[in-house]
Amino acid sequence: MLKFIPYVFKSLWRHRARTLLTVSGTAVALLVFCFIGAVQQGMLALTSGDDAGRTLIVFQENRFCPQSSRLPQDYESTIAKLPGVQDVVPVKVFTNNCRASLDAIVFQGVQPEKLKAWRDIDLQSGNWSAFSGQDDAALVGIDVATRRGLSVGDKFTIGDVSVVVQGVFKSPAAAENNLIFTQLDFLQRARGANDVGTVTMLEVHLNDTADPEALAKQIDQEFHAGPVGTTTRTKGMFQADTLADLAELIGFVHWLGYACVGLVLSLVATTTVMSVQDRIKEHAVLQTLGLRPLRVFSLVMTESLLLSTLGGILGVAGSVLLLSSAGMSVAAEGVTIAFEPSLSLAMQGLVVAVAVGVLAGLAPGWHASRTEIVPALRHA
Amino acid sequence: MPLVEVIDVSKEYANGEETIRPLDGVSLSIEEGDYVSLMGASGSGKSTLLNLIAGIDQATAGEIIVAGTDITKLSRGKLADWRAAHIGYIFQTHNLIPVLTAYENVELPLLLLPMSSGERRKRVEIAMEAVDLTSRATHYPRQMSGGQEQRVGIARAIVANPTVVVADEPTGSLDDETTEQILQLLSRVNEELNMTLLMVTHDADAGARARRRIRLERGRLMENGKELQTAKLHTA
Ligand SMILES: Nc1ncnc2c1ncn2[C@@H]1O[C@H](COP(=O)(O)OP(=O)(O)OP(=O)(O)O)[C@@H](O)[C@H]1O
Ligand SMILES: [Mg+2]
Repeated sequence: MLKFIPYVFKSLWRHRARTLLTVSGTAVALLVFCFIGAVQQGMLALTSGDDAGRTLIVFQENRFCPQSSRLPQDYESTIAKLPGVQDVVPVKVFTNNCRASLDAIVFQGVQPEKLKAWRDIDLQSGNWSAFSGQDDAALVGIDVATRRGLSVGDKFTIGDVSVVVQGVFKSPAAAENNLIFTQLDFLQRARGANDVGTVTMLEVHLNDTADPEALAKQIDQEFHAGPVGTTTRTKGMFQADTLADLAELIGFVHWLGYACVGLVLSLVATTTVMSVQDRIKEHAVLQTLGLRPLRVFSLVMTESLLLSTLGGILGVAGSVLLLSSAGMSVAAEGVTIAFEPSLSLAMQGLVVAVAVGVLAGLAPGWHASRTEIVPALRHA
Repeated sequence: MPLVEVIDVSKEYANGEETIRPLDGVSLSIEEGDYVSLMGASGSGKSTLLNLIAGIDQATAGEIIVAGTDITKLSRGKLADWRAAHIGYIFQTHNLIPVLTAYENVELPLLLLPMSSGERRKRVEIAMEAVDLTSRATHYPRQMSGGQEQRVGIARAIVANPTVVVADEPTGSLDDETTEQILQLLSRVNEELNMTLLMVTHDADAGARARRRIRLERGRLMENGKELQTAKLHTA
């Protein structure tokens, strides 16, 4: 069979315009497919991550946008005393855009020692002491830094908040790479005296034996009669609730991913059918020379596979390049979904391409191999 | 034993209500090294008989035994393998593969046989030389004249050293001068390479080149004015 590979390549090259169009169409469709997959994976990472079930988020009752949730900071000490609680991290969130946006900037004000203890961040440039020693210092996630072209020493202003970049970090949790960390009290004061003493949310880290559900109930009970009521959920639940609207949209977009697969299938199948119809006589000649029907089938199959796989490789490579260089994300109400390339996604894209190639080649290949030689030789 | 034995072969086509029977129990023996021409009116069934012997069409009844194998009993796949090893087919319109060079076209049948690439190269070169086209090896079909294309077609048919070479009107679409060239080449294939040749033709001059001349008339095979009988009756 390998001996016939040059013939297959030459046949594809003979109709290079058609081949090129099919390959590029396949590439674009697979790029979109991978992109959609990345969005879904980003969403999944938020709601199923390691700490999604073992960390609680305490938010003000019936509030969604971070600007409107204002909890007294001293709730921290009350919660810290509850059995099963390992640590409480007060967080002040500020975002320039509460609605769904592709370029939302999300600040989180956290005390430096808590940041160091609970966030797995790896400084790519800058240093910790500069951050913890300076009031308006900020650590910028690598994706925001890429998107906004920020580096150490830059001053960055959004609305009333002005910070100086003292470090660019990278986190294994992709969504964190879209955050900007500042000192807690800086962010509390940044927008006037109103916010001093309040935080947006409290992040409650549990020890291994605690039951998250029960503890969440207990916390809400605790503050039920207090000045501000709370809603406590696991981090996964919190993020899923916050992104509920987006999740619905993403769930729908998921169908577009399938549509892309269908598109590739019809594209490659059309080209393969055309190429078989063009060569009814040629295949009959090959059979006359002694090619087995099965071999004619595999020639057609190889052609179809080459088209789809080539398109697949280009599309997957394109999506990996796009996703890794652009640092794209979508945010809503202070929670971001990062679009990250991943090996599993790339493999998925390639598997889809190969499977589509096989599917698209089946019918034309079968047809070519079953063709009666003598009538086909008479074919113009 | 003859190299090719066609025994009581019939071919029918159902055409709506009526049945067309271009071959009605024909028999024919071809000895090794024979050069046989097959003539007859248009539509008399010449191509049909040739295609049956070449193993690309199925007979309605009868047996076709080539070098001891009854090819009417072979499966599609086995028959393809058999063609690769035993048949060289020369088409009226050369039917070269347009994306392959002359050399690659001639090499094609050898790719189907177990053979080292060195052996392949040697055989292709011999065949290209036999048709005097060594200088055109890297040319594509569209870069060659009709006569040259047909010579490449002949080289492709003989390269694997087949048991039988069949040709269906090999000069049918060529001018007189080129026809003469091709006919001389075919005679050389028969005489110098000692290949068994069966040629269908409309052209009486061409037919006269062959050592045996057979006519197909109303579903029956005639040689020297007598109908050919089955091989079995012959020997009886
Ligand atoms: N697939 C088919 N269905 C019906 N009839 C057919 C079919 N193929 C061939 N025939 C008929 O069989 C007869 C013999 O055809 P064949 O091609 O063998 O003739 P031929 O002697 O080679 O003619 P020519 O000299 O014109 O090439 C013709 O009458 C033709 O119409
Ligand atoms: Mg004919």
